[in-house]
Amino acid sequence: MTATATRPSPPKPRTRRGGGGSRRNREMWVLMLPALVPVLLFSVGPLLYGVGLAFTDARATRNRDVSFTGLENVYELFGDADFWSSFKIGLIWSVSVTVLQFLAALGLALLLNQNLRFRGVARVLAVVPWAMPPVVIGLMWKLVYHPDAGILNSMLGTDVNWLADFSLALPAIIVVGVWTGMPQTTVVLLAGLQSVPKELYEAVEVDGAGRWRRFWNITLPQLRPVIVAITSLDFVWNINQFGLVYVLTAGGPGGQTRLPMLFAYEEAFRYRFFGYASMLGVAFAIVVLAVLGLYLWRQMKEAK
Amino acid sequence: MRIKSAFAVTALLALAVTACGGGGAGDKGEAAKPGEPVKLNFLSLAWQKESLAANKELVEEWNKANPTIQVTYVQGSWDNVNDQLVTQFAGGTAPDVIHNDSPALSGFAADGYLLDLKDKIPAELKSDIPQAAWDTTTFDDGKGNQGVYGVPFLQESQVIIANKKLLDEAKVRIPTADSPWTWEEFSEAAKKMTKDGHFGVAWPMKSPVNKTLNLALNFGGKFFETAADGKTTVKVGPEEREVLQRIHDQLWKDKSADPAALGQGTADPLPAFYKGKFALLPVGVYLRQQVVEQAPEGFEWVTLPGPKGTTTEQGAVSQTLSVAQDSKNPDAALKFISFFLNGKNQAKLAKGDWLLPTSQAAAADPSMTTKENGWDVATASGKSLVVAPFLKVKGFDEWKSKVATPVLQQYFANKISLDEAANKLVTDGNSVLERYQK
Repeated sequence: MTATATRPSPPKPRTRRGGGGSRRNREMWVLMLPALVPVLLFSVGPLLYGVGLAFTDARATRNRDVSFTGLENVYELFGDADFWSSFKIGLIWSVSVTVLQFLAALGLALLLNQNLRFRGVARVLAVVPWAMPPVVIGLMWKLVYHPDAGILNSMLGTDVNWLADFSLALPAIIVVGVWTGMPQTTVVLLAGLQSVPKELYEAVEVDGAGRWRRFWNITLPQLRPVIVAITSLDFVWNINQFGLVYVLTAGGPGGQTRLPMLFAYEEAFRYRFFGYASMLGVAFAIVVLAVLGLYLWRQMKEAK
Repeated sequence: MRIKSAFAVTALLALAVTACGGGGAGDKGEAAKPGEPVKLNFLSLAWQKESLAANKELVEEWNKANPTIQVTYVQGSWDNVNDQLVTQFAGGTAPDVIHNDSPALSGFAADGYLLDLKDKIPAELKSDIPQAAWDTTTFDDGKGNQGVYGVPFLQESQVIIANKKLLDEAKVRIPTADSPWTWEEFSEAAKKMTKDGHFGVAWPMKSPVNKTLNLALNFGGKFFETAADGKTTVKVGPEEREVLQRIHDQLWKDKSADPAALGQGTADPLPAFYKGKFALLPVGVYLRQQVVEQAPEGFEWVTLPGPKGTTTEQGAVSQTLSVAQDSKNPDAALKFISFFLNGKNQAKLAKGDWLLPTSQAAAADPSMTTKENGWDVATASGKSLVVAPFLKVKGFDEWKSKVATPVLQQYFANKISLDEAANKLVTDGNSVLERYQK
């Protein structure tokens, strides 16, 4: 045995990528596994399965096997006039609801940010629609729009069948969409407004800025990150809307309110073309991600 | 050690989760073990108060009398039964006995989810129901064989519910089951009743397809034709156009039909009907029940037979009871169906739903021909029912919702001409049907 062999070796410096780090990484992954397994099983798994189905001719039937059909569903989708019509309606609905919702919510948030009497009560009332399930909201608005017994016609003294009229059905459901989604947008914007430092307002007031300049030069720029986040989320929520419109019109009259998700639902559960419906889902997901990605990228770039 | 424990927990969780996922099969009806009663699930779509009571009462009666075959009543809804069955069939958890209607059976039969009852129906039940009704549940199994995929038990015909006061004031001939109005007389009567902001008639056309296709048979309109090679295509010729044109004329030429009712569901115009906004409401016979329950005190109404074209024929669809292909106890299910749909019980169910029984024994029940609440007219109208031609068309449901519903809604709303409507029904319709004939 040599002296050098018995001499204790100097301790190795511990690096992030060293043995200790790897062990911690392993431990971290192992500890995360119990949470990851359900996510993989119930979210990622079905998602991947759905993407796989999109490239097959899967139908709800026992009488035939499922075959891989490559891009056949993509070709069918591009040539499907109903798909394009539904896509167009979806965009009109999502953009209109998101923009109107934002404008209305901003107005309401600014109002609720003032030192009003009964401000607390007003804030609670403003979020009431948030607490209501979409089905209840749909049924309630159906009664409002009812041609004979509806409050709207009785107030206006008209005889209009709002939800069955080819020109009015989409605007009518857009109003409901705005009403339904406004509370969460209001709450987020109100939180944003309350985090704007008061010193900024005081500074521009010293410069003699009026209300409009205060809003334009302080409030809006300060709210920008919140606005980007909430409008992006609203857009995604709105384009994925299903329950509310299903209860109100089920896509009618004549397909005038058939949103993308209603269209995909009908293909899957009504006509039982699971493969094609999955392709519709994949297509809508890609479109949403693309629009959202572009929007976020632009906003982030501007913010820098 | 901690790592090993975490792995063990994960593995257990994964196993538990997998076991839960695979547990779906355990929900299926299973063959009973010796000494244990057979358990059946019965999905019922009854929704009217009296009908619900009748259904539950019959299940209870059966369970008391048959301790070896116990039936669990499962409440379903017409609104979402298709979604429910598509998912349950795909997951292998469908109920043993399924209440539905004959147009829905065609697809499920072709997809192999329903049991063919052709050689299993007891002779007594088979002979009590006329062949015309059995034809409404006879479909292709998707492999070219014809089978019977449900027991038909309730049918609906179209009648006209009329405000008696307005009808009497108009001094028009009152139609009877033996001498119904012709479509010309119907239109004239509606015109006479149109005055002072009131309309003669209202056509609730939120779901216009079944109604117009069934009435189109008045003039022999069938909307579909099958060539020698077995290929089915859409046809909109002079016979098919008759009823479409006449309803449209009432709306936009005579202006005797209330346009506000167009987008409404069948029962939606009732409040306006009670107020006298219009005098005549062409609807299915079942709507009488709601009029009886909801009409304000003193409101007088009568049931008139549907109008007559070249014939009084109307397309018939049936409510049905079927057995799931996956049922582990099909024989027990059929025994239950035979009891549930015997003549006496069908009369109960028909009265509960205000529909027409297919059972000849039930139709002979005096309560089915009483003048009270228009039962005499309703039952007589059942004689005009023939199998709706669209029942046998593969892809009809998609044609109906994607093509025919929007096109007919647009046509009745006066947004497109009859020629445009016919062209769309045929061109777009044939593309849809091709999807099912590949």
